[in-house]
Amino acid sequence: MIRQCLHRLLLPLILCLLAVNPALASDEQQQQEAALMAQQQKVLAGEQQQLSQLQAQPQASDADLWRAVRAGDAGYTVAPGAESGRLINAVGQEGRLIRDQYVIPTLGAMLVGVFALFLLFYLINGPARLTKGFSGKMVRRWSSADMLLHWLMAISCLLLMITGLIIAWGRHALEGWMSADVWAGLIYGSKTLHDWTGPVFIVSWALCILKWMPLQMFKRYDFNWFMTAGGYVHFGPFKGKHPESGFANAGEKLWFWTLALFGLFISVTGVMLVLPDLVITRENSFVALIIHGFSAAILIGFTIVHIWMATALSEGGLESMVSGYCDENWAIQHHNIWYDEIKADGSLEYKT
Amino acid sequence: MAVMKFLCDTKRCIECNGCVTACSNSNSEALTFGTMRRRVVTLHDGEPGEASISVACMHCSDAPCKAVCPANCFYTTDDGIVLHNKETCIGCGYCFYACPFGAPQFPKKTAFGSRGKMDKCTYCAGGPVPDFSEEEQRLYGANRIAEGKLPLCAEMCSTKALLAGDAEVISSIYRARVAARSNPDTIWGYVPETGN
Repeated sequence: MIRQCLHRLLLPLILCLLAVNPALASDEQQQQEAALMAQQQKVLAGEQQQLSQLQAQPQASDADLWRAVRAGDAGYTVAPGAESGRLINAVGQEGRLIRDQYVIPTLGAMLVGVFALFLLFYLINGPARLTKGFSGKMVRRWSSADMLLHWLMAISCLLLMITGLIIAWGRHALEGWMSADVWAGLIYGSKTLHDWTGPVFIVSWALCILKWMPLQMFKRYDFNWFMTAGGYVHFGPFKGKHPESGFANAGEKLWFWTLALFGLFISVTGVMLVLPDLVITRENSFVALIIHGFSAAILIGFTIVHIWMATALSEGGLESMVSGYCDENWAIQHHNIWYDEIKADGSLEYKT
Repeated sequence: MAVMKFLCDTKRCIECNGCVTACSNSNSEALTFGTMRRRVVTLHDGEPGEASISVACMHCSDAPCKAVCPANCFYTTDDGIVLHNKETCIGCGYCFYACPFGAPQFPKKTAFGSRGKMDKCTYCAGGPVPDFSEEEQRLYGANRIAEGKLPLCAEMCSTKALLAGDAEVISSIYRARVAARSNPDTIWGYVPETGN
């Protein structure tokens, strides 16, 4: 900078001197000065060229080097491991904010909110009783293989939800209530149980989805089921309605397809998170974590609804997954089309 | 209280990897094969404008690892050093996803190649167990801070490119260096003529 200014000052000075007193300058001096001037001009031109190069190619400047680093540029390193040449990768920090601000609150809201809403609905509305009472005659609804698969999936799923909620919410909701040692044991146990229950869920989930899919296709009459809220509402315009349904009603079909879709999401992302060798980038890992959390929130909400419906809201509903048989009146009231079908084709099987 | 930081002067770093070796040596009992708490990255290697920088845990004031940890095993010391409790760590890897600098390391010695307990730079400040205990050495490595010394990586840096200490002290040292160099292109991102 200083050098350049001096050059710029020196040049007119020499020119002035030459102009004012040309007679003083001998030939030798003139030659020397001309050589000096040429040299200075060369230096100036060189500097000018450097500057224009920098301006034309700003990537050569340091600012752009560090800007590129901030954006995730990688360099050479001898350190082992994936992405070790990358200096800064802020994606995880952004993902962390999404997890803390959206995923974890959504999980909590689903757990508490759906439960509270259903409790409120149950208290106002009351359960759906069998209008003709129990007939005492039991109709075969599920095979023992169905029940085994269902409870395998249900138990693994509930374990995953409980341990998963401890992993997400534990440090906010539970840690303060226990000593550090108990907390360490609880969180380590939750994570280990979560990892090992996952495969059980994935296998039973896949078998259930494949086995039950033919029964879960949406039919024309399912639309009417949604329009009358399934006949569970005992007040207002929905009172006393009994919409038609096949083996599964429209709500059960919705639950089935939700479980199929989000079960797939949660299984794939779960495998990605448990086996770090499969997914090497931090971007993929965090996307998986967020999808895993949101899928869990949806499944937790639906599971609460499912359990409420089966145990409290629908009288005689739980029986079919416990013994495999349902009451005949329950079948006629809740699954009339299915009942008519099995009666017509002779596959109706009473409990002996 | 002091806020302990690392600062790497890229105009001095010569990519000798001495800091990496010093770190591995200082914390040898805690490190398993393949984990490196510190690494040197060279940008534009072999091209004009090459710059080397030594990175480890940056001991962030608002650390993403600490915020994301489901086990809540991280804590910040009075000196602003981010440490973690390996007894509580569950090896989920969330801190590795969240850290922008790739500081958390996993030894990967458990079933199905899943992660073990996380390991990262402790600023040579040990861990939550008693100072200089056998357990501290085994889990966390050196505790030079308790001895009144700085991390070995910075102490052993041959060109004094890697500085460790209170943020205010090391940034003053760096500022003085930049002022002494006084020619363009020495301050990161500042070229007076272009305004870049």
